[in-house]
Amino acid sequence: MRRRGTLPSALRAALESPGGQCYRHCDRPVRTRRFSRVLPGTWHVRACPSGVVSVTAYIEWTRRDPTRAVRNALRRWTVPRTLVRSWDLRIATRHGPELGRAAERELAALRPPRGVRVVYWRLYPFRARDETERRLFVCFRRTHPSPVFFASSPTATTWGCPACSRRRPSSLGRKLRGASVRARRLRDRKIPSR
Amino acid sequence: MRRPSARPRRLTVVLAQWCPHCVPLSVRKGRQLSKRLGVPFRTLDIDRRGQEKVADRLVRVHGDASPDYLIPQVFLEWSDGRVQHLLTGFSEQVARTARAWDDLFESDWLRSVREKGSP
Repeated sequence: MRRRGTLPSALRAALESPGGQCYRHCDRPVRTRRFSRVLPGTWHVRACPSGVVSVTAYIEWTRRDPTRAVRNALRRWTVPRTLVRSWDLRIATRHGPELGRAAERELAALRPPRGVRVVYWRLYPFRARDETERRLFVCFRRTHPSPVFFASSPTATTWGCPACSRRRPSSLGRKLRGASVRARRLRDRKIPSR
Repeated sequence: MRRPSARPRRLTVVLAQWCPHCVPLSVRKGRQLSKRLGVPFRTLDIDRRGQEKVADRLVRVHGDASPDYLIPQVFLEWSDGRVQHLLTGFSEQVARTARAWDDLFESDWLRSVREKGSP
């Protein structure tokens, strides 16, 4: 029994990215991060070690067009959500013969017959209002419930993840609360000694 | 339902001259495929006004349609009027699209079409 939308092994292997280097950013090898979340298919985020995203692909074994669901999921994960525009999402259908003989045979044998739909999200570098270059970054910190996509300058010295920086006040708050508790305890201890 | 008497009639590649997945790769591979199938080959350039409308319609009705759709897209027209979408370029390196073309040439599908007509 296979989970709805998940891919058979030969198909998964055929759709693996050949790798490559970060284009016009750092020339370091791009790595693919795979995960399943929100939708039944698999997400592939291809990014360099600095977090600059080359392309995000959503792959599902289905007959329907998952573009709208992909857009909604990406908008939930992107700050600001307006970075996810309809014309940056492009669908491709993989029928089997173009994926190699093993994948072709596996796909032909599966019932009901369906193709593999891939939705690509590619956001090209753009200029912000202050004329500085912006690129799409992704943050996969374990503390985030889902990946966080955001635009930042590739030369920025600080990690610009808005979810990480949103966490700062609360952790600072905890520290302050901790400090005040410690201070109160110290104060309480001092009282009897007075 | 495919009729066994149907034969391939024309191969079309929707492309743009500036796209490295299209020119020269898909033009060369498309010509090779049309030769193997024994059908005429045509390209539809999305930047030429006359061809753009035909390309848009082909993609919208039979292909992978998006507001700014992927190219190249390859279509095979059949004698019974069907249009079969064969391949869409990979939004990755050009080498990945080249591999897809090579796999298409080696596929059971192509062998079956050449032997029996409609697979």
